[in-house]
Formats: sequence, structure tokens, C-alpha cells
Amino acid sequence: MKDAAIILEHVSKKYRLSHQPYSSLKGILLSIFRYRRRIEVHQALNDVSLTIRHGETVGLIGVNGSGKSTLLAIIARVILPTAGKVWVNGRVAPLLQLGVGFHPDLTGLENIYFNGIILGLTRQQIAERLPAIVRFAELVEFIDTPVRAYSSGMVLRLGFAVAVHTDPEIILMDEVLAVGDEAFQHKCLRKIQEFQREGRTIVLVSHDMNQVRQVASRAIWLHQGRVMADGAAEEVVDHYLQFAEEIEKQSL
Amino acid sequence: MINELRELYRYRELLWTLVLRELRVRYKNSYLGFFWSLIVPLVTVAVLTIVFKRVMGMVIPNYSAYVLAAFLPWMYFQTALLDSSQSVLAQIQLVKKVYFPREVLPLAAVLANLIHFGLALVVFFVYLLGYVGAPLLPSVALLPVLVVFQTLLIAGLSLIISCLNVFYEDTKYIVSIGLQLMFYLVPVIYFSEQVYHAQLASPEWQRWIYLIYHLNPIAMLMTAYRKVLLPPITVQQVGVAEKQTFASLPMDWGLLAVACAASLVVFVLGYAFFNKRKWDFAEQP
Repeated sequence: MKDAAIILEHVSKKYRLSHQPYSSLKGILLSIFRYRRRIEVHQALNDVSLTIRHGETVGLIGVNGSGKSTLLAIIARVILPTAGKVWVNGRVAPLLQLGVGFHPDLTGLENIYFNGIILGLTRQQIAERLPAIVRFAELVEFIDTPVRAYSSGMVLRLGFAVAVHTDPEIILMDEVLAVGDEAFQHKCLRKIQEFQREGRTIVLVSHDMNQVRQVASRAIWLHQGRVMADGAAEEVVDHYLQFAEEIEKQSL
Repeated sequence: MINELRELYRYRELLWTLVLRELRVRYKNSYLGFFWSLIVPLVTVAVLTIVFKRVMGMVIPNYSAYVLAAFLPWMYFQTALLDSSQSVLAQIQLVKKVYFPREVLPLAAVLANLIHFGLALVVFFVYLLGYVGAPLLPSVALLPVLVVFQTLLIAGLSLIISCLNVFYEDTKYIVSIGLQLMFYLVPVIYFSEQVYHAQLASPEWQRWIYLIYHLNPIAMLMTAYRKVLLPPITVQQVGVAEKQTFASLPMDWGLLAVACAASLVVFVLGYAFFNKRKWDFAEQP
């Protein structure tokens, strides 16, 4: 398929969860004396197959622990699937959460370079885009200040500004829009709409169903690592909300 | 491994940026900046010189130069391993979100320390030629070879340590204790000639002790640094009962070759180990 941006074929991901995590030597030593090691296998994704075409905006929805973030991490090539095949066709830019990849002791400018390079730009490219990044982040007068002095909103704007200027073909967003004030959210939405017009692919994880309705053309509902529904955003969101309501009733 | 190295080469700009960031961050908020990394070895060597010449009774001309010639590479070894042990864990949030060859994190810590070592060596040569007035030996040409193999050894160990530290945070404590003990098992404050004459066993065992001691690649590299940088000397120690004299031993090229080969093996094994586990980092809760 030529117009496919992301193809997942029978992708499964298992995590080994140990109830006594061996993150310390004490843990290991103690485990020797216990007869049974309690290692559970958690199936985060179970036989997921899907194709996302170039230019689509896809919302991943589902309750906590349904596998949304794992799916995003597999697309970002950060973790490897236990089984199945993944093709990603195009440059991926994950939008990072607040402050990830920033060093508080370095200035905004120095952090732009580091962030840009880690997202795959060259120094040359960053130098060219620097004015646009700084303007987009609205940090012209603070760019030589160490990031530790920034407010969380400023850090957020800077991170977003770098990521959107990496000229990505595929953009991954994991709840990044949930933080930030009204003005910032509007700015992000405008940028997303711009990306959509330019035919870029966007995959976003969100718990804000209005946002998914507003932004995404297609939604994929994951539950316990399986695809429950995949289709037009409106329908899938309605379906999911109905399900969520029922769950809530049962628990009352 | 060839593919991994190719991918690493593709990300060389990231590696270089990380090295610069490491150097910049370290001295960002201090007035003396880089000089701190010189002050530490210089003060240490000054103290060692006083203690070993005046208290322990080592009679060696320019003892401080000989200590420095081994202490600077030791500092490189020690600080690079300590820095890199935390390198992946400190960036775990980034590792969980962005694809990049994970080995750039420990390797950047090693390279930043390599640059420090290089600058410290420049200061060493200024001291040697200017203050001590010792002639530059032709064997100094071998210095880059020693630095390359020491860096391979350090990189290999760093890859293993930084990887293990993601899963078991005890690693960094073990490394720090191990380094403290190792300091006494490498010829920094004493000379390899004294190891040869160690009163541990009967004389026929001397050669074996010397051999086993130098099978530790870092110990052999330290001995080699000394012999390459400085002229041979006769070590005299004023003992309790009598004056002991240890004649200078020539460089053991066979042992040096073993140390270099071992360093290369450590690097290859360390990299293979890291590659086997590096895609599990992001799964750590």
C-alpha cells in the first residue's frame, strides 16, 4: 500500500510484571528465599492490525491501561512488539510531555538545539528554523535564560514549538494537549489544523472526547489490548461513551 | 553489530551534541569551570607526593610526575564509569518517548571525559617540560594507542554498567565500591616494580604475581602510560630495617598486547550486551 503511513499486522505486546520488582539487589536476594517467583505476564496489546493512511488524523481512545500508550510507543519505535510486524513510512515526531528532554541548567536556545537534534534535525536545519521556533514559543526575550526559570507554560510552548518545526510526516501526541492554558490549547489546535491541511498524519491519545470529535477524522477504541471499534470518530466515540456509561452504572 | 554501528554513525550529531551538553552542564554554575577537573588531580597528587615521599620514605626523583602519569588515566577511567552509570537512567523519560540509538547516552559520558583527559594531558606535558624539565621520550608517540584502547575498555564497561543500572540501581553503588578497591590494585601510588618484588610469596612466584596483576587491562595500561611518558627510574624505599631498591623493569610488550586485546573484547562484548537489552529500557515502569 503506497498511501499507508503506518501498518500494524497482528501486533502483540506482552509485559513481564513482577510483583516483587527486582530493581534492587535486596529484591533479588529476597526472591531466592521465596519459593515461587510471582511474575505475571500482562498482555498490553493483543493481535492488533490496522492501517493508517497518510493525511489521516486518528484518535486512540479507551480506558486507562487499554494499550493506547503502548501502541503509540510501538509506532514511535521506542519499544519492540512481542509479535507481529510494524511498518512506519515517514519521519515520526513524538510530541514530548512537559519538560522531557530539557535540561534546566541550559538556556532555552541550547535546549532548542538538543531537542531538535534528538528529534532528527541537523544543526543547520535548526539554525534556519530558529526564528520561527522562538516566535512560535513566544519566548523571544527569554531565549537566553536557563529553562529552570521558565514557567511550566513556557516550557510547554518551547517543547511544542520545536516538535512542530521538525517538519514531521507523522506526529504522535500522548495527552499533550491536556496541560497548558486556554490560549496554548487554541494555538495547538490551530497548528494541528494546519498540519491536517498539509496532509500530515496525526495519531493522538486523548481522554477528552470532545477534542477527539473535533480534531480526529477516525477513532480507534482499544480495550484490554484489542481493537473494539475502528471507524468514523463520531460513531466510535459515541459507542465508547455508551460503554463507559454502562461500566459506571455497574460499579455504582 | 555492524548495523548498530552504522545507525550510531547516522546519529553522530546527536552524540556530539550530548557530549557538548555534558561538558557545558557540568561547570555551568561554577566560577572556575573546567579548572575544577584539573584541581582535583593536582591536589590529590600533591598530597600523595608529600605522604609517600616524607612519610612512607619513597626515594624517587620527580615522584609527582610518575604519580600524575598514572593518576590522570585513572581519573579518566573512574569518572567516565561513574558518570555513565547514571547516563541512561537520567534520560529515561526521553528514552520512553523518542527513538534514537540508546548507546549515545553512555558513550557521550565517556567522550566528555575523554575530552577532559585530553586537556589534562596537555597540562601534564606543560608541567613535565616546563617544571620538571624532563625530556620528551620518543615512546610518547605510543600515547594515542594507549588512549584509544583505554577508551575502548571504558566504553565497553560503561555500556554494561549503564544498562544494568536501568534494571538494578544497585549497580552504581557496586561500581563506586569496586572503583575504590581497584584504585589499590592499579599502579598509581606505587610502582609495578614493587609488585614484582611484593613480599606475598616466595621468589619463584614473583613472576606469576606480576603476570596476574597485569592481566587486569587497566593495571597494564597504567604501567604502560608511565613507561611511555617517563624515563625508567630505580625506585628506592626506605624500609623499616633496610633500604630496598627496585630496579626498573622494561615494558612487557606481550602483556600490553594482551591488555589491548582484552580492551577490544570488553568493548565488543559490552556493546553486544547493551544491544541485547536496550529496547527493554522503555518498558521499565
